Amino acid sequence: MNKTKPCPEYTARLETARELLNRVREEINKGKLIRQNLVWLELTGCSGNIISLLNGSNPDFKYLISQMTNFMYDNSLMAAEGEKAMEQLMGIYGKEYILAVEGAVATKNNGMYNIIGRWKGKPVTALNVIKMFGEKASHVIALGACASHGGVSAAKPNPSDSVGVQSILKRKVIKLPGCPCHPDWFMGTLAHILLYGEPELDNKDRPVLFYSTLIHDRCPRRSYFDKGIFAQKLGEKTCMFKLGCRGPVTYIDCPIRKWNQYVNWPIEDDTPCIGCAQFGFPDKMEPFITYNTTREVKE
Amino acid sequence: MNWENDVRLRIKAMTAETDNYINLIHAAPCVHTRNILLQQLRDKINEIDFLCGLIFEQVNQISVSPFELCTNKPRIDFTLEELAKFNGKDGNPAYVAVNGTVYDVTENAAWAAATHFGLTAGKDLTDKFASCHGGQSILNKLKVVGKLI
Repeated sequence: MNKTKPCPEYTARLETARELLNRVREEINKGKLIRQNLVWLELTGCSGNIISLLNGSNPDFKYLISQMTNFMYDNSLMAAEGEKAMEQLMGIYGKEYILAVEGAVATKNNGMYNIIGRWKGKPVTALNVIKMFGEKASHVIALGACASHGGVSAAKPNPSDSVGVQSILKRKVIKLPGCPCHPDWFMGTLAHILLYGEPELDNKDRPVLFYSTLIHDRCPRRSYFDKGIFAQKLGEKTCMFKLGCRGPVTYIDCPIRKWNQYVNWPIEDDTPCIGCAQFGFPDKMEPFITYNTTREVKE
Repeated sequence: MNWENDVRLRIKAMTAETDNYINLIHAAPCVHTRNILLQQLRDKINEIDFLCGLIFEQVNQISVSPFELCTNKPRIDFTLEELAKFNGKDGNPAYVAVNGTVYDVTENAAWAAATHFGLTAGKDLTDKFASCHGGQSILNKLKVVGKLI
């Protein structure tokens, strides 16, 4: 691919999150926009989304928590701990806030499979807290596969009966599936909410801004697919469709946005897309890799 | 009937949209934009086909796959056991049966590694198809290889 002269459409797409965030910065500096409270809940999951967010660069995480929003609660990043932290969380109840959720909600034994803290001596479960804060938030954003639809936490055999946030809440939940969520998808959506309110969503409540096109349609290896040239094993530079690539069914913008601050993404490193931004991931996307489809059996 | 008129108007509007997409494809700056536009064009044509199906249902529902028109291969009758061999593994083609017809999904984009959202090839997927793609005219894009008996 010609790296010196990128496609104008690519460049424009890549700028979406940055443009929105620059606008937020301007409006906040002018005093036209008020910083809103942001509550970040980490439920049943691996905390991968917050780690991914820390890797954001347009702008960085520091800007998000210090100037863009009042970052009220996040159990792995806040300075307060124990009851002090819970106090901060409970203090926001009744005020206006945006709720970001990562991780699924464990429902077995009345939610006792996931206790996020103690409040006045009693355990507070993820189920409690999502019911309590989910209904009252101005917007709920589900980040990553687990929060969006159960994801890895709800994969078979699902011992904790985990479900996505939407199954618990009777309200609109903006979903940003992906494992983990790209920092731009979250920061872009948040910036849009701050500036103009809810972004346009598709029929599965994903922002069209990021989830409108198939990976397959922007894949740098698409021409190999069209010509029927398929890789037989990992490491080959041709189309990985027959190894199990889920690019043709997965709607997201990885090929242009890329990861680790816009450096690389799976296909470029010879890994098929495993459809992590797809509802039903991981169970419905398996097998991630298969070697026995293209290989001819020699008798 | 009223709804039939609505459908006709919609088809008319969509043919104009299709035409516009074709113009856009001519002006598209790069192959990736073209792919996206082609995808949208495919969706539109699919919808037009579906709407035509609604109107003509009573008269004459024709669902001949374009592949059928250009291939003269004889159709094969499959039993469920025979179909099971065509599971896309070890170099075998991937076939699935829907409503008694056996389709080839070996090269179909949605069937990577002969699997599709937890489903595997070599089976009768009539119920599964109806629960996810009921009312969509996507079957006539597939190559027909035979009948399930």
